[in-house]
Amino acid sequence: MIKDLLEESLRKSHGYVEMRYHKRDTFSVSVKDGKIDTLNSGSIAGVCARVLLDGSFGFSSTTIVEKENVNRMLKDADSLAKTSKPKKKRRVTLAKIKPAKDEYETSMKVDPRKADKQELVRSVIDTDKEVRAFSKSIVSDTVGLNIIDDELLFVSSEGAEITQRIVRCLGIVTAIAREKGNIASAVDSIGEQGGLEVLKKTPLINAGKTAAERASKLVKVETAPGGTYPVILENKIVGLLAHEAVGHCSEADLVYGGSFLADKIGKEVASEKVTLVDDGRFPNGFGTMKYDDEGTPTQKTVVIEKGVARSFLHSRETAKQFKVAPTGNARAWNFEFDPIIRMRNTYIEPGRYTLEELAEDIKEGFFLKGGMSGQADFTGEFMFGTQEAVRIKNGRFGESLRGVTISGNAFEVLKNTDAIGKDFIMRTGLCGKEQVNYVGMGGGSLRTKLLLGGMR
Amino acid sequence: MKLTEHTGLAVKYCERLGVDEAEAFAQSVQTNEVVIERAEIQNERVKTQRGIGIRVIKKKNLGFAFTSVLSKESIEQTCRNAKSLAHISLPNPDWVSLPIVAKLPRTPAGTFDAETADMSANDVLKLAMKACDGAKACDKRVTIDDGKFSVVRGEAAVTNSHGVEADGNGTLLSGYLICVAKDKGEVSSMAFEYDVARSLKDFSPKRIGKVAAQRAVASLGPKAVASFTGKVLLDCEVAAEILLQPVVASVNADNVQRGRSLWAGKLGEEVASEKLTVVDDGLMPKGIGSSRFDAEGAPCQKTQVITAGKLEGFLHNSFTANKEKRKSTGNAFRGGYDMLPSIFVSNLVVKAGKKQLDDIIAEVDKGIIVRRFSGNVRPDSGEFSGIAKQASYIENGEIKYSLKETMVSGNAFQTLKNVIEIGSETRPTTLQAYVPPILVDKVNVVSE
Repeated sequence: MIKDLLEESLRKSHGYVEMRYHKRDTFSVSVKDGKIDTLNSGSIAGVCARVLLDGSFGFSSTTIVEKENVNRMLKDADSLAKTSKPKKKRRVTLAKIKPAKDEYETSMKVDPRKADKQELVRSVIDTDKEVRAFSKSIVSDTVGLNIIDDELLFVSSEGAEITQRIVRCLGIVTAIAREKGNIASAVDSIGEQGGLEVLKKTPLINAGKTAAERASKLVKVETAPGGTYPVILENKIVGLLAHEAVGHCSEADLVYGGSFLADKIGKEVASEKVTLVDDGRFPNGFGTMKYDDEGTPTQKTVVIEKGVARSFLHSRETAKQFKVAPTGNARAWNFEFDPIIRMRNTYIEPGRYTLEELAEDIKEGFFLKGGMSGQADFTGEFMFGTQEAVRIKNGRFGESLRGVTISGNAFEVLKNTDAIGKDFIMRTGLCGKEQVNYVGMGGGSLRTKLLLGGMR
Repeated sequence: MKLTEHTGLAVKYCERLGVDEAEAFAQSVQTNEVVIERAEIQNERVKTQRGIGIRVIKKKNLGFAFTSVLSKESIEQTCRNAKSLAHISLPNPDWVSLPIVAKLPRTPAGTFDAETADMSANDVLKLAMKACDGAKACDKRVTIDDGKFSVVRGEAAVTNSHGVEADGNGTLLSGYLICVAKDKGEVSSMAFEYDVARSLKDFSPKRIGKVAAQRAVASLGPKAVASFTGKVLLDCEVAAEILLQPVVASVNADNVQRGRSLWAGKLGEEVASEKLTVVDDGLMPKGIGSSRFDAEGAPCQKTQVITAGKLEGFLHNSFTANKEKRKSTGNAFRGGYDMLPSIFVSNLVVKAGKKQLDDIIAEVDKGIIVRRFSGNVRPDSGEFSGIAKQASYIENGEIKYSLKETMVSGNAFQTLKNVIEIGSETRPTTLQAYVPPILVDKVNVVSE
């Protein structure tokens, strides 16, 4: 048994030792232009050890899960902790937690392990057909479906023994339209933590239709103009804003480095309409897990409550530094990485308006739709791409233009937020912070103003 | 056990299972890395990774499976998984064949360095500290925000059922540092500097620290500039991101064949300024993307992509090449053993011009220089827009002041035609492209 192998090995160090075993089984199908492009299944497994010795961490991992290699790995981690210590000023101590012995599994109706793979392949093929049939201008498409099935084991020298199985389903559709020498692409996705019932709840074709419709619309139009405008950010973008620009500033390691929120607990940082939450247990959230990768139980953490900064996101190390309880935000992408502070499911709570009501008071502005990748500094400065900009004139939605990059300071944007929609959604995300991780991002559409980096 | 023994075993077993064609790609990677946060060592890691990916074809049906466990049982199970996926797949009418045996060129010089391969985690730690010391020594106002240094020793092998068998190894060092300068309550924007090399003697951590620190200090006291459309000098990394990324996507033969490239059908036509010449050179000595064989075991080569502004060639793997009954250009690429081959550049090299950066600046009457870009580039349509970071305003041939965060936007395919000057100081970039600074015209500079 792997558990016994790890528990036997971890006794060989004098420090505090965590060992994680992680097996990730994936199944993915992608169909490009009516042909199967990839049909893959695979399994990557490995173990890692993190050792804390006299306030210094050492970390090592291996994909060779055999006694000799596991022992060597622990030795590597041990010696790294020792040799790096003189070069570190920081002496780490960890906040106390109760070592848990527990199990968790994603709640599922249709376990993908029992799936009829042929049927899954067929559903992707059918979606591809529909996407290409949507319009004559669609020249190419890719429809992809991924199932990620994680088995996690956490053991520590404090006696923790936690097994978790987390299953995620993710579908992505890209559509490319060409017309008169112009080209436009659009992408949309579906997915959540859960079994294959996800595909019934939010069929892949929903994403397909959004992408195909958008690409064939945008191929005919120009890019939106640049400048500062009142805007409505679509619910799909609001999650990105909550995560990228605000959430990162509340991660205690970045707070320690002097992020925007560093000295703001108890102070007003956004309009009173804004409540921002990072929830480790949001039902079916892409970032949901019962325990984080330090064995701390996850929780719902209110970061901003009605405009006032309330809490940071912590690991055991930063919780000790800040003299608070750990929030269960220490996560690792896989066994090759040590856990760092990460968000789980980050969202802005919905308001009570419809999209039409949000548009009502805008004389001239844009409704920005479809998020693309983004970046943010811990000062709250952010930028991310949008796919589509629908013109708003005298309170009415007008024509669509190609989306542009938007930028500004997230806290300014949240201070300028005067109304939030009731159209709450939770989306999937893949966030990169030295290592990537699956996260959920959510919110309702909201009204604010910001800088569009478009054509003049 | 050598990697080729694993791949050989896999291919033989697949043949026994009764598939038409089989290919195994195996990898073994040893990584030592150090992560810096706020001038402190945050994490250091020793990683051992290995695994095998198996591709089988039966009646033009494709199946692929991978595993990180290289035991005989695990490899055989993975072969069976690949076969059963091929069974439920659909035939791809465009499928012709896996690569057949071809003579491989000699291993490019300087892709493996024994000294680098022997570096311990502690040695990498020392590199990181050197970079940090370099930054601290530069200016008291500078603090280090974060950084990462890593040394990778990798080995790869491919075997297929047509008799292709290739293996090789390589080393790679990379590192970056992000610094901020703080002065009288003002905090500069984040300044970034990096280096990447195949061997320790070509890698300069001190310079990383020094340049990152200098850039942070230089960005203090920023001013705004009124919006205009005009000259923008793109530093190497930014030129790669904005201008070359759309080139990489447009010369990818798979995109061309699917109508996803605006350059489909444009071979021989003018697609850029005549100042621009681009080659893909898989055999370049010391190249960060150099190898004698690609991810399918086909020989790597040098391919002319753009010559004096004229589109000269596309980049192929065996699938896209077979579709056109031509030879692969050896550009099959895999992100890892767990991925099927796609197409990517090996070393995309932009031919350097004659002028140094300072001489180019001296010729700009009005413009900005952008040293970091934080934005979106749509590789297919060429649209780009984002924040110019570490940017400065240039007037009458001189850098006047650093800029507050300003947006730049435009279309890369237009901008490629508006190249005014290409610099002489080429650097490897994260895109696996070797790019000098490039001065372009008619870019939108937008500020609040």
